Amino acid sequence: MTGPIAQQTSGSQTVQRGRSGSSLADVVDLILEKGLVIDLYARVSLVGIEILTVDVRIVVASVDTYLRFAEAVNRLDIAHDGTSQGLPQFVGGMQESGAKKKTRGALEGASERLKETFGSSDSDDDEDDEKQTARRRSSRKKEDDE
Amino acid sequence: MTTPQYVYGVTRADATLPEDVTGLDDKPVELVADGGRCAAVVSELPQGRALGERADLVAHQRVLNALMDAGVVVVPFRFGAALADRGAVEKELLADNSERLGQVLDQLDGRVELRLKATYVQDAVLREIMTGEPEIAELAARLREVPADAADAVYYDRVRLGELIAQAMERRREHDGQALLEAVSSKSEAFVRKSPAREEDVLDVSFLVPNDRREELEKAVDELGEQHGERIRIRLIGPLPPYDFVPEA
Repeated sequence: MTGPIAQQTSGSQTVQRGRSGSSLADVVDLILEKGLVIDLYARVSLVGIEILTVDVRIVVASVDTYLRFAEAVNRLDIAHDGTSQGLPQFVGGMQESGAKKKTRGALEGASERLKETFGSSDSDDDEDDEKQTARRRSSRKKEDDE
Repeated sequence: MTTPQYVYGVTRADATLPEDVTGLDDKPVELVADGGRCAAVVSELPQGRALGERADLVAHQRVLNALMDAGVVVVPFRFGAALADRGAVEKELLADNSERLGQVLDQLDGRVELRLKATYVQDAVLREIMTGEPEIAELAARLREVPADAADAVYYDRVRLGELIAQAMERRREHDGQALLEAVSSKSEAFVRKSPAREEDVLDVSFLVPNDRREELEKAVDELGEQHGERIRIRLIGPLPPYDFVPEA
């Protein structure tokens, strides 16, 4: 994700491989929920540090998900008719990106929260990561509108 | 010296840290050893603020990645471990646990974690469902006839349609997820399967892979990508520090 990492390119075009294309969202649950916990392992007097990060997983509300699928299927059918070129397809495209925005995953929600709360000053960020932030923000906006 | 020390993980006492690796707040990363088998990978703990900013998580990961990339075996710690000072790292963490931590290092040496995430391509799986499940296709067709200004009247029908789709997707996921897992897991030494976070997720699994079998595993994943690329998006993330393969307690 960051740092002096040799970029690994994928051997096939269908599988995205390596760390270069992944973001903090892909590992944030590991960092926060996995790894050795030393106060369980050893009887040590840990320094009491305040950890800001909570709510790693944001569960997608079921009804919201159902409506998203219903909307996606409706759009799918229109695109399939072949009778409606032009505008409906254009609208379909808009809806598609809208629906995809809303599907941005639970884990990304966590880094979104981190970013929004504390701002992203991380210069190591790759461009893809920045784009995801933008998408996530607009996704939130969309949900607020509803 | 009484500066609290943030602990990233534990490595072998004779390990050499990669140069120029920096930790939280870009502080230098050092080894603390007590003369036993193991050494702790630490940096000074930032004072006067809570931890958990994005940059903190990135720094934690960066340090562990740097060690791994340099071929240094490490037991990764969960984010947020700090001891009172270097003396506490030696006496409390290392002294009593060197042997156990050393055994974990032996188990992890020469291995990396690779995480496979597979997600349905939404349109492709929806088409499959529409084709394969007439009952759902029928309901979808009926709802499509409803004019936009009457959409509120069929709100619960739309919810029902989405629910049926979600259920159909879950049935497919059980089958597809298992198939993907079986195709790859034999190339790994161990795996940890995580519960999918979203309906479209097919599989989220981390593998512990010996270095000399990594290529073989990647090839198996590539083959899956070629077989399923139209309908399932597969990503292989890593190599990662073996977070998923340290003892629970």
